[in-house]
Amino acid sequence: MTPHDWYVENRAAYVARTLEPSEERLFADHLARCEECTREVSRLERDLGSLPMAAVAAAPRPGLTHELADGVLRRATRWRRALPGLAAAASVALAVGFGVREHATGAALQTTLAERERELSALRDTLSITREAQRVVQQDIAMGNRKGGLLIFDDPITHRWNVVMHGLPAAPSGSVYQFWFITQTGMVRSVELRCDGNRPAFATLEMPKTPGPVMGAALTVEPAVSRSAEPSGPMLAHVQF
Amino acid sequence: MARDERALVELIETATPWLLGLVQGMLRDQDEAEEVVLETFRIAWDRVAALGDEHEALMPWLLRVARNRAIDRIRRRGRWRRKTARAEALGAIGPATTPFREPDESAHPGWHVHESVHAALQELPEEQRSVVWLAYFGGRTHSEIARELGIPMGTVKTRLRLAFDKLRVALAPIEDWVR
Repeated sequence: MTPHDWYVENRAAYVARTLEPSEERLFADHLARCEECTREVSRLERDLGSLPMAAVAAAPRPGLTHELADGVLRRATRWRRALPGLAAAASVALAVGFGVREHATGAALQTTLAERERELSALRDTLSITREAQRVVQQDIAMGNRKGGLLIFDDPITHRWNVVMHGLPAAPSGSVYQFWFITQTGMVRSVELRCDGNRPAFATLEMPKTPGPVMGAALTVEPAVSRSAEPSGPMLAHVQF
Repeated sequence: MARDERALVELIETATPWLLGLVQGMLRDQDEAEEVVLETFRIAWDRVAALGDEHEALMPWLLRVARNRAIDRIRRRGRWRRKTARAEALGAIGPATTPFREPDESAHPGWHVHESVHAALQELPEEQRSVVWLAYFGGRTHSEIARELGIPMGTVKTRLRLAFDKLRVALAPIEDWVR
């Protein structure tokens, strides 16, 4: 089962809104990145669009429809009246607070907003792995007089890990910290983790496309130029699930 | 639809009975149901130009917005189950698997669509229909449905998927009746 299969299996559940709230957030974040799922969900919503009509109509109480129309239009009027003032206040705030040039257009602001939404969606997605993790593995690592560690959050729903390497000095000159998956068929090279000694290194990883499950992970120090499929440098951490 | 106030009033008069019936049945609270219907029309008014561009059928869109809003409210309030249990104990409302009924429902425009959808639901095996009803009109999650029906969560997912496969075939030809 690939990570994407979970989303394929749960498209109907997303449309029906039967996913648990955390799963629903995860699915919504995925839709922001997956055209295929977005298309299929839209199709499903369109095909099932009439389903809520199975509920029987209820006669509105006398006067309700007028109240509704008034409620919509009164607010719209209020917004129209407030708009020039709000626009002026917004442009001052933008010019002073964010240094936006006075000729910044609505389209440019919309683009910025869309970028921020994408960033936020990616951050929420990353955070969801830590939040949904059902296994957390920690291993201490000593490098000279520094003590740090490797932390892995395993999210079984999307088959992804958040990996944090912390407390270690920068890798020795000409070397890199290399992360490996341990699978049934051997070690699989993953990402280099960069650490400057002060800030932890962080990576979100999907499981490698190898037959059989991932059984663990390892962290080694490898020559920066090496692309070897097997670790050759010193082993700093070795964890097995 | 042009963004004019007369069209809005006509839409409110046509769509309100169905939106109200849907969310009242879900929320079991008339005041809250009316708030949701108002929110739905406000969203529609704000998005009316975009709706025209997307060529999205209006009534299904309104129903989807209203249903999503109702579910958001159900999920937000922990007191919902207590309230429903209390009301059901008092005989004020039927169980969640029974639709809310009004005597003059056939007088509402859109009644023919309701009949078609209802017939499509009736074609489903009972075990699939009850899952669809709890999910779609009860706002329940997989785990809540599994608990309520005393069946595994995987069975809930399977029944829902099978039911949707049948329903999308049966409902896809239904055209929007609000122009």
